[in-house]
Amino acid sequence: MKMEDMSLSGLDNTKLEALAHDVYSDLVEDACLGLCFEVHRAVKQGYFFLDETDQESIKDFEIVDQPGVDIFGQVYNQWKNKECVCPNCSRSIAASRFAPHLEKCLGMGRNSSRIANRRIASSNNTSKSESDQEDNDDVNDNDWSYGSEKKGELIQSNPNSPRRSKSLKHKNGELSSNVNPDLYKYNYSSGISYETLGPEELRSILTTQCGVVSEHTKKMCTRSQRCPQHTDEQRRAVRVFLLGPSASTLPDSDTMLENDGYDAPDGQLIMSRLQWDGSSDISPSDSASSKASTNNSESKRPKKKKKPSTLTLTTTGSGGERDKGQERERGDRDRVVCGGSGSSSSQNALGLSSRKKRPKLPVPPALSIYDDLN
Amino acid sequence: PPIADLENTISKNSDVVSVMSPAGCSHVNGFKVDNWKQNLRLIYQCFVWSGSVETRKRKAKSCICHLCGAHLNRLHSCLHCVFFGCFSKKHIHEHAKNKRHNLAIDLLYGGIYCFVCQDYIYDKDMEQIAKEEQRKAWKLQGRSPLLLCIGEKYSMWEPTKRELELLRHNPKRRKITANCTIGLRGLINLGNTCFMNCIVQALTHTPLLRDFFLSDRHKCEMQSNSCLVCEMSQLFQEFYSGHRSPHIPFRLLHLVWTHARHLAGYEQQDAHEFLIAALDVLHRHCKDDNGKKANNPNHCSCIIDQIFTGGLQSDVTCQVCHGVSTTIDPFWDISLDLPGSSTPFWPLSPGSDGSVVNGDSHPSGATTLTDCLRRFTRPEHLGSSAKIKCSGCHSYQESTKQLTMKRLPIVACFHLKRFEHSAKLRRKITTYVSFPLELDMTPFMASSKESRMNGQYQQPVDSYSLFAVVNHQGTLESGHYTTFIRQHKDQWFKCDDAIITKASIKDVLDSEGYLLFYHKQFLEYE
Repeated sequence: MKMEDMSLSGLDNTKLEALAHDVYSDLVEDACLGLCFEVHRAVKQGYFFLDETDQESIKDFEIVDQPGVDIFGQVYNQWKNKECVCPNCSRSIAASRFAPHLEKCLGMGRNSSRIANRRIASSNNTSKSESDQEDNDDVNDNDWSYGSEKKGELIQSNPNSPRRSKSLKHKNGELSSNVNPDLYKYNYSSGISYETLGPEELRSILTTQCGVVSEHTKKMCTRSQRCPQHTDEQRRAVRVFLLGPSASTLPDSDTMLENDGYDAPDGQLIMSRLQWDGSSDISPSDSASSKASTNNSESKRPKKKKKPSTLTLTTTGSGGERDKGQERERGDRDRVVCGGSGSSSSQNALGLSSRKKRPKLPVPPALSIYDDLN
Repeated sequence: PPIADLENTISKNSDVVSVMSPAGCSHVNGFKVDNWKQNLRLIYQCFVWSGSVETRKRKAKSCICHLCGAHLNRLHSCLHCVFFGCFSKKHIHEHAKNKRHNLAIDLLYGGIYCFVCQDYIYDKDMEQIAKEEQRKAWKLQGRSPLLLCIGEKYSMWEPTKRELELLRHNPKRRKITANCTIGLRGLINLGNTCFMNCIVQALTHTPLLRDFFLSDRHKCEMQSNSCLVCEMSQLFQEFYSGHRSPHIPFRLLHLVWTHARHLAGYEQQDAHEFLIAALDVLHRHCKDDNGKKANNPNHCSCIIDQIFTGGLQSDVTCQVCHGVSTTIDPFWDISLDLPGSSTPFWPLSPGSDGSVVNGDSHPSGATTLTDCLRRFTRPEHLGSSAKIKCSGCHSYQESTKQLTMKRLPIVACFHLKRFEHSAKLRRKITTYVSFPLELDMTPFMASSKESRMNGQYQQPVDSYSLFAVVNHQGTLESGHYTTFIRQHKDQWFKCDDAIITKASIKDVLDSEGYLLFYHKQFLEYE
């Protein structure tokens, strides 16, 4: 087909269609030619047959679709003994209990500042070796090994949780039995002496607490990272001082500052700022659609996306680690001694923890298939 | 001619260990003298891969067969002199015979033909030049073939000689066929972490995300090894490793809890919250990829934004002066109210506003996803207690507000608000909402609304395909998350922590639905 400078305006529809069809078939032919070249080249260079698989491999990876087994042909419920190494403390932990361990290990749960304080207490306390305390922590991670604790001691000496009773102790055993009563000499608002702490403990504490050292008492502030008494600058400075210059790049302190906005009282999830067509300051994580779709009746509610806990005392009777975890959580909440959350109702305590942790929707898993097959 | 040779080489290859006929030939040696490299480059630049408008014009005008004037017919250029001849009519063959010029180059694809061998040959040095020139031309054109591949031509992987050797000596392959398990893997529950597992399954089966990570496109610039994007990349490696035992995502949990402190704590959490938090951390860590500083507030072009970020337009219209104030907010998900919640829901009868229904055939009375979307994008009178300051009227006036989609992301996630937390009650709304396999978002676009208002034709928008469904079983107080994911076009699988089983489409569509993931059908050039 010869190419000429021709004007298309003079042509009628049939001619135009014919031209279009010509162009189309040329394009298709070119595309086919391209494919031929690809194959020819692959064959000549020797890599055309490289992806051929042997029958055995194909069978290996074939999907299985039969009752009682998964797609790999494996029976359900054989993964109970998996373990993993905690990236924080390098201990080997059972996989199915890694989450509760990590919470304590990172010093994030409601419980963990008390555990940290306890460690400090034990390092000052000659009557208990530190390893004992660590063992007690381990016991917290495991289920139902009462060990050699003083079961009765705490209950009587703890004035702050009148609801603790012997009946609860049975369900929530390990907690009531393991905490050193000396702990309660440490009020939440007093400080920690940083000199006696190792770097790991410091790091752990500094992930949850303000940490600024008071000039008078030389102790670290144990309030939250947003404590109004100290500034972010002070907090950064103490981290650098205690943990070295790299501390200023600790993801914890940085993200904590960023994430503080997340806990802001107006409920905005402000983690990062993205301009969108120059008209909005909101990040997609603000769930703009979620806010936007509320109508009038909802706007009367407090703006914070409150999802108060409604963990109930369900004793489902299944051999569930989860049940125990559930109980444990509730028990903790009852006994946390912290400013502002003195509620005696376990049901509301979650929403009012002093860390201003954003209340979440608690969805404890129901009986899982593991339990059914137990 | 080439076809016969192709058959030859194919039959040679069926003996696994046989030696390949060399890809190059000795007849090029006569050509490789003096300034041959530069000459070859020129030929590629001018006549094969035109990078600029001028070269394209020149090619179009000057490349015609010297014997018959044809532009196409597989035009070739002689490598030894200035001669163009078409292949189909054998004009280039004539020239080669007459002048004893043995080599010619195909002007469409740059292949080099040897008239002595009577086949296309692949000489290493010449190939090298060809590749470089091709890359140069693509850069000049500045096109982005795919959103993900900016300025650089996508080239298929070719093994080196060494790799070829290794591959031939190790013939076992992990090949992804239509009925294979590769890409599927269970996830151990780390202690009430099904909320995380269900999201991980949805993300690892997001095609674009999978392609991004499997082609190694994340270049990490974080100093510490706490980059969540790297961990994501590792996750894909684990899923495609062929391992059958479930993966233990403990490092992922650790990283997410480190970077999204608000999620921290061992207690059962909401999958939707986890999704948003995870996307946010990934997005923050991705920002380093593009050399953009973390505090650059402008449009990010990280993979998360490219795939998940849409724009939600909110129009507030003053009831008095009818002035409209528009804002556009980015979003990663659309949260939809459901009937049965304490917020009033008016199920609109299908087609009542003339818009297209998604061909839903549902049992009478069942709410559809489209109903929810229609409600989401309906104009809403804000009431006298919520007057807005109107810049046109300079006073507070009543107004209506309407939401539409300004820009739809490639992956649209719909969140059915099943968990109600009003002051009085906390409960889970289990109303069945039927959702389609294919979703047409046209009626809900901002552009459609404008077209409707102007009485114009609504430009149809690409349809979206369902590829993942996260379900919650149980009550508000105690429940469990599972995910249905789509693999190999029409196969569905149920992911229940460590257990992956095959599922039917019916299973998926009958499920309650909490998070619905839809993928755009066709990708467009930017």
